[in-house]
Amino acid sequence: MPIENPLPPFLEWLPMAVFVWVLVVLALTVGTIAVGCLVAVLRHGPSEGFRITGRTLAALWGDLVYLSPRRVAALAALAVKESVRRRVVVVFALFVLLLLFAGWFLDTGSIDPARLYLGFVLTATTYLVLLLVLFLSAFSLPADIRSRTLHTIVTKPVRASEIVLGRIVGFAIVGTGLLGLMSVVSYVFVLRGLDHGHALTADSLVPASGAAGEKGDKVGYTGFHPPVDSDRDEVTKRHHRHRVTVDANGEARVEIERGHWHGVRRGSGGAQGTYALGGPEGLLVARVPVYGPLRFRNEVGADTERGINVGDEWMYRSFITGGSQAAAVWTFQNVSERKFGRGLPLEMNIEVFRTYKGDIEKGVFGSLALRNPRTGLTVEVDLFESRDFVISKLFIPREIKRFSSARMVSRKLDRQEGAEYIPPRDALDYSLLDRKEFDLFEDLVSDGQVEVWLQCLEPSQYFGASQADLYLRAGDAPFFVNFFKAYLGIWFQMVLVIAFGVMFSTFLSGPVAMIATTGALVGGFFREKMIELATGRALGGGPFEAFLRLVNQDNLTIELEKGLKTYLVQTADRVAGAPLWVFAMILPPFSEFSYANWVAYGFDILWTPYVAVPLLRTLAFLVPVFVAGYFFLKTREVAR
Amino acid sequence: MSPDVIVETRNLTKVYRDFWGRQKVRALKALDLEIRRGEVFGLLGPNGSGKTTTIKLILGLLFPSGGQALVFGRDATEVTKNERIGYLPEESYLYRFLNAEETLDFYGRLFNMSAPLRRQRTSDLIEMVGLTWAKRRQLKEYSKGMTRRIGLAQALINDPELIVLDEPTTGLDPIGTREMKDLILRLKEEGKTVLMCSHLLADVQDVCDRIGILYQGELKELGRVDSLVKVRDVTEIRTTILSEEAQQELKAVVQRHGGQVLSIGNPTSTLEELFLHIIRESEAHPGRRVRGGAADAH
Repeated sequence: MPIENPLPPFLEWLPMAVFVWVLVVLALTVGTIAVGCLVAVLRHGPSEGFRITGRTLAALWGDLVYLSPRRVAALAALAVKESVRRRVVVVFALFVLLLLFAGWFLDTGSIDPARLYLGFVLTATTYLVLLLVLFLSAFSLPADIRSRTLHTIVTKPVRASEIVLGRIVGFAIVGTGLLGLMSVVSYVFVLRGLDHGHALTADSLVPASGAAGEKGDKVGYTGFHPPVDSDRDEVTKRHHRHRVTVDANGEARVEIERGHWHGVRRGSGGAQGTYALGGPEGLLVARVPVYGPLRFRNEVGADTERGINVGDEWMYRSFITGGSQAAAVWTFQNVSERKFGRGLPLEMNIEVFRTYKGDIEKGVFGSLALRNPRTGLTVEVDLFESRDFVISKLFIPREIKRFSSARMVSRKLDRQEGAEYIPPRDALDYSLLDRKEFDLFEDLVSDGQVEVWLQCLEPSQYFGASQADLYLRAGDAPFFVNFFKAYLGIWFQMVLVIAFGVMFSTFLSGPVAMIATTGALVGGFFREKMIELATGRALGGGPFEAFLRLVNQDNLTIELEKGLKTYLVQTADRVAGAPLWVFAMILPPFSEFSYANWVAYGFDILWTPYVAVPLLRTLAFLVPVFVAGYFFLKTREVAR
Repeated sequence: MSPDVIVETRNLTKVYRDFWGRQKVRALKALDLEIRRGEVFGLLGPNGSGKTTTIKLILGLLFPSGGQALVFGRDATEVTKNERIGYLPEESYLYRFLNAEETLDFYGRLFNMSAPLRRQRTSDLIEMVGLTWAKRRQLKEYSKGMTRRIGLAQALINDPELIVLDEPTTGLDPIGTREMKDLILRLKEEGKTVLMCSHLLADVQDVCDRIGILYQGELKELGRVDSLVKVRDVTEIRTTILSEEAQQELKAVVQRHGGQVLSIGNPTSTLEELFLHIIRESEAHPGRRVRGGAADAH
């Protein structure tokens, strides 16, 4: 699964994040006070203007600090009752209806049905919940102002901050309840939707032929799923079955097909009798990956930061040339016997770029090797055929007895003063190559570090790789916890939408507040794109440069000719980029809180970077949005 | 500001402007007013005279364009002053999906009242406004009069010192109107200060100690009701019923003293009194037709 913006370690991220947050909040506060003061001075004259500003600031402190939990709770409870009265439960009914009919359209026979099901429920939940809270939060306060019910509240000792916070908390409670219900229903839906079995009878097993190299006494296949009625149906790609091997003791093993297998229970009669297959296993997983930093090696064997660009606009992956010394090298840290005592479980998902089609049904051959970064001993542990979008799994046992080759390799670093080799070439101990077998931890791991080398073996073909494409599968986390963590991501989005909706509704009418909140939501999803544009990182430049390229029919990837025209458009882009950057920075990164892919692709959503950090980021946005909402409500005439 | 002055406005002015800041209406012009502790003060005036604007400024629902409004010596925009205020708006703007108990409980919580106190106040007030029988019904099922009553109850939930009533008798039947007026007088007896605005002059006359008359945003008259409405060049004598001879004798006496008898006859009652008399009689003697005619003078 692509991870385009890996987060830095928490303790590295936190101080800088807090610093930037304080800076932005301070800048916004000072700017707001200055504008407010200017307006007051223009309307009431200098002395009265400054007095009003001072009084507002004094009230602000009291209103924000001396909040009454009882009043906030009362207003939150009111918001909950109001939501229930506005038939929130209809959304839940709609969701259930959607699931009832979804079973007709979601293809359990697809190549990865789990991804399909999980992607569907998480996406449907996200859209429905966000749409609901968008309406609730944007229309509630304007409706109260229009119907003047707010008059009976603001004439009580209720602070504007309590009104805003009460609404946010109330709608968050409604949304959380709804999200909780949806998550439980979705979980049951996914489990039931993916559950299936296969028939396996003794008749379908035949003795294994020695030539076929089968280990078991008998081999065969399970029945198809969905079941095939031989008179009418033909077997299509929708159907799948599993290969089964039965050993001499009658113990059966079902092989993996479409990402899952089935447990087998013997019926009466043992190998001669019947077998009962359990539900699918391995479909719903939460892999805990261990990533290592990635570097590249070019065709002539020197270290580079990135591989080559094959012309793909998406720069996420770098490519290595086949049939050369080029390699993608991952260095894994803290590889210890305690963690990986039995061996290294590797998984990878490599992109293949073909410069000629060849046999399209076949993959492109590559090799994987382990290298000791200290000694340079490199042992080729696997030759494989790579296919796009398929996660290949490989288990490298501790005792490596079967390997393709072993060689001594030094890293070559090009320096200004000449090439540097690590370890130096004359320090390489070639006697290590005489070994017939290697021990993972004694021979290939040094100070907890081991390198995994990926090479493409076919000339004129390329492998594309990024850091997250190859990892050690340290273990699996419980799937249901991972599933609910994905809902936590939706919850972060929901709370932010509520806060923005309530904030906008303090000074805009319902429909306008809804449009503004939708704008913040959509803008938040495209925040990264805006930042790219604003900082000049976007391919093809900003809007002015892009326009020039359009007119001149210039490719995005080529550099513009130096000159006044180029200078002018690039300067214009820089000037236009500043406000765009500010705008983008005050929008929440909604897309970063979307974890549907993590669950759908079967990866564990890590607690620190994807739960703790987003929680802090959500809070970081909530506080200023809440203060802004308070400020707007405080300074507006409710009875106007 | 004297501690006896509960509400004070100094040169209070309100100008409504459009989005671009252009003046649309000058709703209130330099209003100077003092309302003292324990009095019932009525603001009178035709529609658009600035009564409701004045009340909204005093409650902090609007911000003054000029001048100042002080309540309990604090600026009207200060939230803490609301702890001692009860407000009944012109229409009872309440949450229609709540029932009477929930409504009062909700407003009680806004005053940070403890749960037992809220329960007690809710029960007392519902009984006081005569809605015990309908306390579990949602307000959307209430008639206008019932909504006014529960609105009044919410205004009194905090046992306020200052009660602001905007058109308090609007939408009430004659019995409700009388009860409302009785309640205002009872509040006055309890030492509360009442500020009300109305264009039902009879209601104002019945309950108010002092009135201010607004017209086109300007205060035109201010003073005690009894002195303002007193007709100084006419003397009124009310007696028990007199014979024809006695009336002639009385006329002669008046003429002898240089006066002129303008009229002698039986005074008329008000329709309100007649209506209340009939209702009371009907309740006392169900099924019997009530005799119409003027009520007794005493």
